[in-house]
Amino acid sequence: MIELTINNKKIKAKEGMTILDIAKENNILIPHFCYLENVNKVGSCRICVVEVEGAKNLQASCIVEARDGMVIKTNSEKVKKTRKLLYELMLSDHPRDCLSCSRNQNCEFQKLGELMQIDEFRFEGEKSKNFIDSSSPSITRELSKCILCRRCVEVCNEIQGVGILSPQNRGFKTIIGPANNLQLNTVNCTYCGQCTIVCPVGAIQEKDSLKEVWEAIFDDSKRVIVQTAPAVRAALGEEFGYAPGTLVTGKMVSALKEIGFNDIFDTNFTADLTILEEGHEFLKRVESALSKEKAVLPMITSCSPGWIKYIEHTFPDLIENLSTCKSPQMMLGALAKSYYADKIESDPKDIYIVSVMPCTAKKFEITREELYNDGNPNVDAVLTTRELAKMIKDAGIDFKSLEDSKFDNPLGMSSGAADIFAVTGGVMEAAIRTVYEVVTGRELPMDKLHVTPIVGFDQIKTADLLIDGALKEFKHLEGIAVKVAVTSGLKGAHKLLEEIKEGKSPYHFIEVMCCPGGCISGGGQPRPTNNEIRQKRLEAIYKEDEDKEMRKSHENPFILKLYEEYLIEPLGHKSHKLLHTKYTKRGIFNERLKKL
Amino acid sequence: MDYNITEIGKLKEIKDNYLDKMNNYKYKILVCSGAGCISSNCHEVKNVLLEALEKNNLKEKVYTIETGCIGTCDIGPVIVINPEGVFYTNVSSEDVYKIVEEHLVKGNIIKEKTYFDIKSRKNIPYLKDIPYFAQQVKIALKNCGNIDYSSLEEYISVDGYLAIANVLNNDSQEDVINKIKNSGLRGRGGAGFPVGIKWEAGMKAKSDQKYIVCNADEGDPGAFMDRSILEGDPHNIIEGMMIGGYSIGASKGYVYIRAEYPLAVERLGLAIDKARNSGILGNNIFGSSFSFDLEIRIGAGAFVCGEETALMASVEGKRGEPKQKPPFPFQKGLFEKPTIINNVESFANIVPIILNGSDWFSQYGTKKSKGTKVFALAGDIVNTGIVEIPMGVTLGEVIFNIGGGIPKGKHFKAAQTGGPSGGCITKEYLNTPIDYDSLTKLGAIMGSGGLISMDEDTCMVDMARFFMEFVQEESCGKCVPCRLGTKRMLEILERITKGEGKIGDIELLEELGSMIKETAVCGLGQTAPNPVLSTIKYFREEYEEHIINNHCDAGVCSEMFLSPCQNACPADVNVPGYISLIAAGRVRDAYNLIRKDNPFPAICGRVCTHPCESKCRRMQLDESLSIVNLKRYAADYILKSEEPYMDLVFPKKGKKVAIVGAGPSGLTCAYYLARLGYEVDVYEEQPIAGGVLAFGIPEYRLPKDILAKEIKLIENVGVKIHLNIEVGKDIQFEELKNDYNSIYIATGTQFSRKINIPGEDLSNVYYGLDFLKDVNINGDFKLKGTVAVIGGGSTAMDAARVAVRLGADKVIVLYRRNLEDMPADVIEIKEGIEEGITIHTMVSPTQFIGEEKLEEIECVDMKLSDFGSDGRRKTIPIKGSEFKIKVDMVIPAVSQYSDLPFIDKNEVETTRWGTFVTSKDTLMTNIEGVFAGGDVARGSDVVITAIADGKNAARAIDKYLGGNGILNTGEEIEIPKTSEESDILEHERFSMKYLDPEDRKKCFGEVALGFHKLNAIAESMRCLRCDRRS
Repeated sequence: MIELTINNKKIKAKEGMTILDIAKENNILIPHFCYLENVNKVGSCRICVVEVEGAKNLQASCIVEARDGMVIKTNSEKVKKTRKLLYELMLSDHPRDCLSCSRNQNCEFQKLGELMQIDEFRFEGEKSKNFIDSSSPSITRELSKCILCRRCVEVCNEIQGVGILSPQNRGFKTIIGPANNLQLNTVNCTYCGQCTIVCPVGAIQEKDSLKEVWEAIFDDSKRVIVQTAPAVRAALGEEFGYAPGTLVTGKMVSALKEIGFNDIFDTNFTADLTILEEGHEFLKRVESALSKEKAVLPMITSCSPGWIKYIEHTFPDLIENLSTCKSPQMMLGALAKSYYADKIESDPKDIYIVSVMPCTAKKFEITREELYNDGNPNVDAVLTTRELAKMIKDAGIDFKSLEDSKFDNPLGMSSGAADIFAVTGGVMEAAIRTVYEVVTGRELPMDKLHVTPIVGFDQIKTADLLIDGALKEFKHLEGIAVKVAVTSGLKGAHKLLEEIKEGKSPYHFIEVMCCPGGCISGGGQPRPTNNEIRQKRLEAIYKEDEDKEMRKSHENPFILKLYEEYLIEPLGHKSHKLLHTKYTKRGIFNERLKKL
Repeated sequence: MDYNITEIGKLKEIKDNYLDKMNNYKYKILVCSGAGCISSNCHEVKNVLLEALEKNNLKEKVYTIETGCIGTCDIGPVIVINPEGVFYTNVSSEDVYKIVEEHLVKGNIIKEKTYFDIKSRKNIPYLKDIPYFAQQVKIALKNCGNIDYSSLEEYISVDGYLAIANVLNNDSQEDVINKIKNSGLRGRGGAGFPVGIKWEAGMKAKSDQKYIVCNADEGDPGAFMDRSILEGDPHNIIEGMMIGGYSIGASKGYVYIRAEYPLAVERLGLAIDKARNSGILGNNIFGSSFSFDLEIRIGAGAFVCGEETALMASVEGKRGEPKQKPPFPFQKGLFEKPTIINNVESFANIVPIILNGSDWFSQYGTKKSKGTKVFALAGDIVNTGIVEIPMGVTLGEVIFNIGGGIPKGKHFKAAQTGGPSGGCITKEYLNTPIDYDSLTKLGAIMGSGGLISMDEDTCMVDMARFFMEFVQEESCGKCVPCRLGTKRMLEILERITKGEGKIGDIELLEELGSMIKETAVCGLGQTAPNPVLSTIKYFREEYEEHIINNHCDAGVCSEMFLSPCQNACPADVNVPGYISLIAAGRVRDAYNLIRKDNPFPAICGRVCTHPCESKCRRMQLDESLSIVNLKRYAADYILKSEEPYMDLVFPKKGKKVAIVGAGPSGLTCAYYLARLGYEVDVYEEQPIAGGVLAFGIPEYRLPKDILAKEIKLIENVGVKIHLNIEVGKDIQFEELKNDYNSIYIATGTQFSRKINIPGEDLSNVYYGLDFLKDVNINGDFKLKGTVAVIGGGSTAMDAARVAVRLGADKVIVLYRRNLEDMPADVIEIKEGIEEGITIHTMVSPTQFIGEEKLEEIECVDMKLSDFGSDGRRKTIPIKGSEFKIKVDMVIPAVSQYSDLPFIDKNEVETTRWGTFVTSKDTLMTNIEGVFAGGDVARGSDVVITAIADGKNAARAIDKYLGGNGILNTGEEIEIPKTSEESDILEHERFSMKYLDPEDRKKCFGEVALGFHKLNAIAESMRCLRCDRRS
């Protein structure tokens, strides 16, 4: 323990903490801006400077470690003046058209301005940059708004390990973006959207899809179907003032109905379907491996489009390891435009499918032509959780006072196994629940059906599952210890893939989710998303699972009915056409640049 | 040839062999191959030299090598002929043959090709005698310019690699560190952190791998010390780094060189290869267990990469951006390993310290700054180049002795040290010893050694803008204060230099500057505002002048003026305009154009001190235009023509203004006020109008009829001049206040100051101004015997020359400084000497001796001392050097002062020199409606400022009396455009006729006879018309 003085107050603190951390712990507000807990600590904005007795200069409290006996002033005249001047400087290079900015009232820079109380613009100089990169289907960069806090750079490089965002040029002309001022769609951006969560202003955002969705809703010739991903229900409430971790599934469905969607389906349904398809694909691969046929193992999950784009760029030679299953959102779209279209006797061309996703990469996923059926995209538009919240507000709906409603069938019912698709380890656990039972005929012998070693936020989690007492048709699996690994965030994925590349991977089945913690902290989720909030959302998801009676995908009666009526069997002909896909070797953009 | 140097003995063997070989040669010629000499084609010189040696069969007798920079970059190519040490400069290929045939064959030094010393105006053949070299102490540069940079043998022959060999044989790591610590060596990169302490921290850091890094990212504009060392003595750096590597326990070193230094990269690269191939770098060096290797990393030329954390990021292949410290590099540096970084010059000092000992090193320098410092002298200084001086030498000595002073007779204004991170030192601080702490105290820094000298033509705002532009472009862009703060500072500075500055800008710059210093992440940002803050500190008025008056005194910020000459004219006369009118043959228009701003063209054409000429752009080509003589030409031409001259006068306003004093200032004010329609009465106590023009300036410089003509023109516009009326006696000041709406006082300074020595009350002590007045007003009288004049200004020279004309047998001028310091115009001095005046410089009178009548003057010889606050060297008496001169009369003419007997001293605010305190903008005194200008407000000054004051007072009085302050200067005059055929030929001034000295000694006839029309037109056509910018 150390003791220091902040604003004449003696404070005890743990050693190794920064001044800012200690101030926070003691409810002393030091305004800060570029700093973001666990994400960014580069000290670029200097807003958090404080006076430290004996130090030559003002010290950035977000970086400087507190030492025993330090005497600190966080609100002296000098500090206040400096902070205000720094803010004025940032403001001098930032557009002042807040009213037409999508981050209006939801902008950290604006909030900081409220603290600073600027009463005049003293610096009317040149603006450093003015460029909009709307090249990607997922993310828009509006450089004039960028204030170079570098949170996105840190997320992209240090957390995701993708590294396409970095400072370019220097001095006043510095911009944040891909090298050589390339646009996002020309580089190996995964579109994970983690940058959009941390951006304090409107410089990096999901590409807006609200306009086209409203247009579709207002178009009487279209049947507009909406589906919602499992992670959305555990986070949407935050946009309406609910505490993180509040489940708002029922209210969400009501709101969607009120907005005017014709059918409210649940992506959870196809999550269950994924388990059946992917589970059988896994069993088939293991079977082939055991019979010395050509089999690519480990198999890796394929629900996460950011992850898919990452492997295509970074480890193009390993795409065979990916499960061929489309993601649940695409499966739902494909079924809605075939199975359901048949049912309601509608032309798939008249059906417009909207997905509400915690994810920005999903916006890109729907544009992949290998995921089209009969020349049509499976899904027509993707809204992020944040966009849905805006839409609800825009529709004049008082969200908190809504009654609960239920999803529509036949694509609306789901098991608890589907819910946990939202968190890291969830897909694997859902698959194990089904595969174990399919192979042994017995329920997974674990507490509350949870595979505990793969629950939680560790970067890489592993589990061994011994097949004991296999059914007759799976006798060949008897005694095998199935090794699984789970990771979320691309840095972990990188490690697992390096192992595979080197031929050292011990695993049979790997789950990868692109975003740290899984879809609950996807790039389309409400801001802020931090460890504390992540944990709350995770708890909500597990609660949703545990509260359901039906906890296993293969028990979903509508899935069984779907096979019975339409698909016939997992991995069958129709499944192959509608529910499976292939991947593209993209390579990293440096290699492509070399070829140019 | 590669050696296999595995033990210390091998070094001696190589050295002995090499020296034996050298003994066979009679001469060794050093051809400087520093970057400066390369650009002036030294390689061709060397080739021709080899060819000439061949032809003269001297190849066996003369050994020729290429060396690094000798330091005199301005006068290259240079060669040194050893063993004599004869220094040839500006050597052309043609000169080479002559040098070979005369010097090498016959043994005759070709003196006119040797170094020319501007101060003594003499050629100095031997290197050792040249002041530039004589006052240097070369430690870091000891081999630079002396040895063949590419030869390992030659390096070994000067005990190269002996230091590391000795260290490895005898010293522990601690031993080496103690030697460096004891030497007192501080880092030469700028911050001055003690090298030994840094190394100790490196040694103590625990790690399996450590690094030593040489920072050769020299980025300051104008600095090239490190480059010169790397290019001229690369092995020294290798050896210095090896010693550093050994002492901290590093096996690997990096030299980080900017890509703009290809020659340094090449030469160091070759030296590393040679060292490695000879076993000096590598494993088990000199048979020890120490292994070390070096690698060069080329930086992309980002200034910020000179900052150590950014440098390391760059070496690692990352974006060169600084990181917050701690952790310091010695804790976590390159590749996260303990790393010690020093700059090139620091490493260059290591070998000499090890070879000669810590005590030897610390004998140089000051208490806290030991050794020497290498500086790159640049800017307005005679000797530009590289110098190495012991710490503690004063700035004045560096600028004026080693640097040779300021070229073209200009005045020193300030020196800039430390480049974009540094600050300026003004002339008040020329006595400051150069060391880390004194410079920091002044708000400048030692920096890496860039020293830019700036003369009076430097605009400090523009200079600050330049440096700000530099750092702004070099900012890495990481932190807000540096990225945006410097940009906004630059924008404000750009505004000010364009004449768009606003009140409050200076304060805003200060606010931004101190905030950036406080908050920026790295050293670049923290020091970026220094040049601005430092210039505001010392030159705030210059900023204010730009902002408030839209005026750049230095004549740099060209968006604020028509041309530099017009900008320099206190009266704002459109110089290029009338010059071009003369060239076009429109002389009357030229005269009228001058009169718009100055009612005395003929007078100023004779007596003006012409500040315009010293700013003339033509000076950069050959010689400034003879502006003053062209003005005289135009005026004389019109005055001679006797054509009626009519000024437009506005209708009477019914308001009256009284003017006290009919000197140039009072008459100017009267003239402009009368033209505006005011009723103006001028009161003059003397029997003639003109003030100092009439009684202070002798007839041979300003004929009375010329004066009369121009005064007549002033009377023509309605000005009434009342002579022989003394205010306070003949008319009371109170009466003037009652009778007139406003008063302008321009009574000048009419009283000679005493020099305060014994004997001033003796007869025949005749004060300068009284003397001139008596001669001018009361007619001439005769003098005989010896007349001594004391002083160096215009009055002194006038008095001396008048004394000659009055028949004195011998006239001597006693002046306490050097000839070039005399304030009198160069022409006056020259003409005075032609007329037989003797000028004794560096003497000062101590007493006047005589019974009643003066008989002798006791004088004392003076010597130069330190620098005064005006930037000039002070003089002090040499004790015991007193001597006496027999004289018949002495005329002290050191200075004048004013007295205001007619105003109650309690009523008016005056300065301690007796001059009026007036408002800077309106010239109004503290008495409502009473204005003052000219010498009575400024103290002794020149005619043109008096005229300018008169004009400004007219504006202010008009405003005060309800007008708009715009003068009536007549119709617009169309100025000719520049001619298309604008081939510029170099040509000095066209000549003018002068009266022969022998003739003019005897009379008061005008000395200068004016331009002939042809020469006037030719001279006017020399104007470059820099007012016409497209």
